[in-house]
Amino acid sequence: MKIIEIKNLTKIYGEEEAKTIALDGVTFDIKKGEFVAIMGASGSGKSTLLHVLGFLDKHTGGEYYFEGKKIESYTEDDLAKLRNNKMGFVFQAFNLLPRTTVLENVKLPLLYSDIQESKWEALAMEAIDSVGLMHRLNHEPSQLSGGEKQRVAIARALILNPSVIFADEPTGNLDSKSGQIVMQTLQHLHEEHGNTIILITHETYTAEHATRIIKLHDGKIVSDEPVKHRLKATQFIK
Amino acid sequence: MILKYTLKTAITGLRTNKSRSVLTVLGIVIGIMSIMLIASLGKGAQNLILDQIQGMGTKTIIVMPGRQPKGASDSAQMFTDSLKEKDLESLMKKSNAPTIAKIMPVVFGSDSATYGSEIYRMTIFGASSMISEIFDLSVDKGEFFTDEDIKSMADVVVIGSNVKDELFGSSDAVGQRIKIKNRSFRVVGTMPKKGQSSLVNFDDIAIMPYTTAQQYILGVKYYQRLIVQADSELNIKRTVKDIETTIRNNHNITDPEKDDFHIETQEDIASRLSVITDVLTMFLIAVAAISLIVGGIGIMNIMLVSVTERTREIGLRKAVGATESDVLFQFLLESVLLTGTGGAIGIFLGATLSFLIALILSNVVGLSWEFVFPLSATLIGLFVSAMVGLVFGLYPARQAARKSPMEALRYE
Repeated sequence: MKIIEIKNLTKIYGEEEAKTIALDGVTFDIKKGEFVAIMGASGSGKSTLLHVLGFLDKHTGGEYYFEGKKIESYTEDDLAKLRNNKMGFVFQAFNLLPRTTVLENVKLPLLYSDIQESKWEALAMEAIDSVGLMHRLNHEPSQLSGGEKQRVAIARALILNPSVIFADEPTGNLDSKSGQIVMQTLQHLHEEHGNTIILITHETYTAEHATRIIKLHDGKIVSDEPVKHRLKATQFIK
Repeated sequence: MILKYTLKTAITGLRTNKSRSVLTVLGIVIGIMSIMLIASLGKGAQNLILDQIQGMGTKTIIVMPGRQPKGASDSAQMFTDSLKEKDLESLMKKSNAPTIAKIMPVVFGSDSATYGSEIYRMTIFGASSMISEIFDLSVDKGEFFTDEDIKSMADVVVIGSNVKDELFGSSDAVGQRIKIKNRSFRVVGTMPKKGQSSLVNFDDIAIMPYTTAQQYILGVKYYQRLIVQADSELNIKRTVKDIETTIRNNHNITDPEKDDFHIETQEDIASRLSVITDVLTMFLIAVAAISLIVGGIGIMNIMLVSVTERTREIGLRKAVGATESDVLFQFLLESVLLTGTGGAIGIFLGATLSFLIALILSNVVGLSWEFVFPLSATLIGLFVSAMVGLVFGLYPARQAARKSPMEALRYE
């Protein structure tokens, strides 16, 4: 089943002389359960692509079908709802709420969901458990290491069991050991829970944890291939 | 989004910048406090004035010479000598005005009294022996003059406490003689202190039989007031009608437009004074309200800063599913919470302050002032402060709600 289908997608910023073509006719499908890495140098359009795929930004041309439905048919509020219960985001800068405990941070998407409040605690605990941070429940972000912060962000992305998790350079701000733990967590989610993951990175070895790599250059796809020798994050941890 | 969590977020937001929140809300606190203070003191002053009027009794009707003045430039002085002895006599007849229980003519002027080397300028009030009942007056020494004194134009006075103190100091005044207009008057009674705020200041007064005052002091044949008491509050309208008919007959007036007298009831005076104090209070409240607008602009300013500071948070909330209205509501709630808290503090401070002022006015200054808790101003104050938050929070909240999630997440 195709979760994402884009055809000839373009994104142009600015007009006339200030015009920048960030995406220039990108076409691909992503099926349920895939772990896709989108790779490219900075300025290749990979972040723009993630923003468009995650409804955080609008494309300017081409077609985008999410779970078989063209996204133009959704209102802003529908898109917010879809981001809430179909998508999870993990950002390079973690984006946790300061002065707010791990538990409350993970609960954040629930605030905007239709789920009954009585179930929130259990859902949040389950998500935090799956990233192995039960001992940090009542800590605030300032008391956590970088890797732990990113795992909190992953738990937050997971909580509503989304169709797809978008991870934008999730290891970019982390040392290599913390980065490996984060990659291990993502691989675990993919293999054990069957989550669909779209990973943005500029590092080849990070991308090789995925099952498929799409390489972008100047807003165009230069290659789209399965990973032949997939890396297992555990292999790097001693 | 569940209100409890939005509220929690708003409180966290405000507590993060505690001193900033406190300073921001100060404008609202001061604005609401001023409004409370003005409303409470205005109402207290109004009650004080109305009490004074009602001190004369709600059955009291005042007949005045001259027609009802129709404006500031209207000369009501044309017929100031229109109320004569004949009018008094006909009103006293039960056949003309059966519902009149008491009637008292009044004349007044100002003159000096001397006792030995002491001299004091005071109000001369010519009245009948009913004055003690009508104005609820009493003597601490001696007694009021009698009907006999009126008939005989006796040279007797009852003096107020200031007059007594100024002329006699601590020595006894009753039985002594004072000179007014070179005529010797025997002091028959002295009155205790009544307080300064009476409509007529009874502390600075010498009351004498109206006949004496007319004949020897003022040299007039007319009355400046006829003070009437109806037998019951229910008969006030009827009494007014009877008085009008009787005096018109006496004065040969057929067209009420040409009346050379006019009548005021307690109710008229009370409502007129209430209008005046209400208008004054409203005016002062309007002035105080300007501070609320200034406070509101402060709120808007700080909310805009807060929205900018929390751009990434807004981006994140939108990324995890917050709609525009969720974000709008969150920031609006924050500014309403800010101004609402300010309003509550302002109400508390305003009420406390006006209570203290009432305490000082009644205990130190000696007015019969009562603290009034202005419930309506409290409710309006809370409502207005919340509205200030809503109105001035709307623009920053919209700015927050409209941020594109991607732009917001990228914000450094």
